[in-house]
Amino acid sequence: MGRAVAIIGVGQTHHGRRMDVSYPDLVREAVVRVFEDTGLSPEDIDGVVSGTMPSMMEGIALTHFYFAEAMQAVGKPILKTETCGSTGVSIAHTAFYWVSSGLADIVLAVGHEKMNEGNSQATMTTVAEPFYQRYFISGAPGVFSMQSQMWTARYGISEEKIRDAAAFVSVTHHDDAFDNPYAHVKVKVSMDDVKNARVITYPIRLLDVCPNSDGACAVIFASEEAAKRIGRKAAWVKGVGYRGEEYFFGDSDKVVWESAIQAARQAYDQAGIKDPRKELDVAEVYNPFTYQEMLFYECFGFCDFGTSPDLVLKGTFTRRGELPCDPSGGVLCTNPIGATGLIRVAEAAMQVTGRAGDHQIPGAKLALAHAMGGVDQFNGIMILGSNL
Amino acid sequence: MSRKVAIVSVAQSAGAESKDNFFDQAYRVTKEVLDKAGITRDELGSVVSASSDVYHGGISCANAYYWDPTGAFLKNASRQDGESLFALMYGAMRIMTGHFDTVLVIGLCKGSENPDNETCTLMYSDPFYLRPLGLTETMAAAFQMKQYLERYGIEKEQCAKVAVKNLGNALLNPYAHRRGRYSVEEVLRSDLVVDPLTALQCAPKSEGMVAMLLASEEKATKMTKKPVWIKGFASALDAYMIGDRDLLDSRLPAAAKKAYDMAGIKDPAREIDLAEITEPYAFQELLWYENLGFCGEGEGGKLIDRGFTDRDGELPVNPSGGVLANNPYVSRGLQRAVEAFLQIRGEAGEHQVPKQVKTALAHGVHGFAGQCHAVAILGS
Repeated sequence: MGRAVAIIGVGQTHHGRRMDVSYPDLVREAVVRVFEDTGLSPEDIDGVVSGTMPSMMEGIALTHFYFAEAMQAVGKPILKTETCGSTGVSIAHTAFYWVSSGLADIVLAVGHEKMNEGNSQATMTTVAEPFYQRYFISGAPGVFSMQSQMWTARYGISEEKIRDAAAFVSVTHHDDAFDNPYAHVKVKVSMDDVKNARVITYPIRLLDVCPNSDGACAVIFASEEAAKRIGRKAAWVKGVGYRGEEYFFGDSDKVVWESAIQAARQAYDQAGIKDPRKELDVAEVYNPFTYQEMLFYECFGFCDFGTSPDLVLKGTFTRRGELPCDPSGGVLCTNPIGATGLIRVAEAAMQVTGRAGDHQIPGAKLALAHAMGGVDQFNGIMILGSNL
Repeated sequence: MSRKVAIVSVAQSAGAESKDNFFDQAYRVTKEVLDKAGITRDELGSVVSASSDVYHGGISCANAYYWDPTGAFLKNASRQDGESLFALMYGAMRIMTGHFDTVLVIGLCKGSENPDNETCTLMYSDPFYLRPLGLTETMAAAFQMKQYLERYGIEKEQCAKVAVKNLGNALLNPYAHRRGRYSVEEVLRSDLVVDPLTALQCAPKSEGMVAMLLASEEKATKMTKKPVWIKGFASALDAYMIGDRDLLDSRLPAAAKKAYDMAGIKDPAREIDLAEITEPYAFQELLWYENLGFCGEGEGGKLIDRGFTDRDGELPVNPSGGVLANNPYVSRGLQRAVEAFLQIRGEAGEHQVPKQVKTALAHGVHGFAGQCHAVAILGS
């Protein structure tokens, strides 16, 4: 279907609390790096896709205006894609469809967020419906903690086991982040540190939660012909899937989570994947909360429902396990929201092209990138492979 | 182009404040556009919406809010920010790839629940340099208008004629928000907003749920006898700081050229039968005539003097009344395409133009003094 599309290069900022740069300069840092990575120049770009989280996050609306120069987009065709937390993957999808349609050969995708300029939880509270729901689902942790409890209750996962598994996920990802030069939070934590951290929203504790990061990510998508002409090792888009569900939290089941299940299935079908745990070499799952990461393993068919905590504790999803998940440290260690989904795509592309440096999974050929957004509502997937 | 894309059906809400809530308004146009095409929600491939959080009644992540009433439940759907013609473009791309056969494109903006557009466009200003100056779209447009008058000797009366024409055209458009028979004198004497712009030369703040169903050639020809084809489209972004730009030398010619090339148009003034263009400020319609190649540089005033763009002129522009008559900010670009569709099909009702329309242009713009333009060419 359509034309084959490849990712030929990526650029990321050093994510973190970046008070040393302005918001446009942060964007510029990622864009300069993708041009350095690919050896291309702005004249080579046929179109630009930009995206971020709500205006309220930084107090600036329609940011494609503000970043026209930083994205090297002056005079270029532009699209602006926003789908809340899943924005990053939706940006990648937009760039994919643009190139695949034959209308552009080379498209630059840019995602960005400077969360330390605003109040992220206040912003996310304004996503919730104002009359009925906002009173009890303020911010992100409220929604995710209810989801976690629904899940553990449904499958009878004991409190002791889930706390162990969540702590294990947190410890391994915090360790992984040391091997990722761009990661934000780099602290050594122990199982006890996680289990005894202060409660944010029960059962979620401080070290189960992602940080507020400043960061940007830029990725260049190219047609088969352009990718071959440029001649770099490319990550080929093998599948794209996206699903969204009801706005009112409570209208849909967030455990057997249809948007996550169906988004993955759509992407797997396109990529010809039948047994994801065996066939995928690495997955960059959107994991702002440890508990949610485990639920995604189940929704994506990495294991049966209710079984992920056991497999986590066996090490199935660590960097040396059967299916390494988030070897970059994931969202848990770095979360500039509008960029986060695109960082998952960039990391997956780096893995299948052998460019992930110290956190490279040896021989990775097929990778999954994912992002989630809305009121536990949207899930988007992109599968990347090292072969066309 | 890999696959041809057609518009099968359209629907829009009226521009005046509605007592319906957002969900009902959005649902109504979604249902109408699917019913007109004779398909159910289950058969729909994808949804691409357009909205902006700053124009969304204080609720962030706008598309999370209206996901259900726009038919997107468990669909692979997406959203564009700022300009609804972006959604038309992205929807068309999705069909061109072969991944989807039908895409619902919908722009959503409930103006009555938003602050003044001025308050919203102030949020485009960066917080350090521009916002303390209070730079808004209207102020930027006033700078642009002054330059336009000075450089080309355009007269204020010529600019006012745009408002006279469009608000008069709107008398025949049941969806228009503001309409009336005004004289040039009345337009110029209406309240001063930002010198030299007066109130009747500035667009109002309106409501607009605007939808269309796109389909591949194979599906479209089964759903309608009169598909309207998307022949070409492009957008172009300009520099951010208005001081970095020549405000009369916009990126619209670049966007138009790409769209014309795709559609095989060489002489736009002759080959385009009708245009619906976004003119939130009256003089901009004249400037955009020039940028779209309808006339030479500095000749926009002469073009309107000749009646060239009147409803019964050689190239009618904004027979619907345009954005001066109806301004649902984010949805207005797509509304231009909806009006172009209706004119091509001969279904524009009382404001149907006398001439036969085979090829029509839809234009959208947003940002200070036209920072970002979008153009789409539709044809029978």
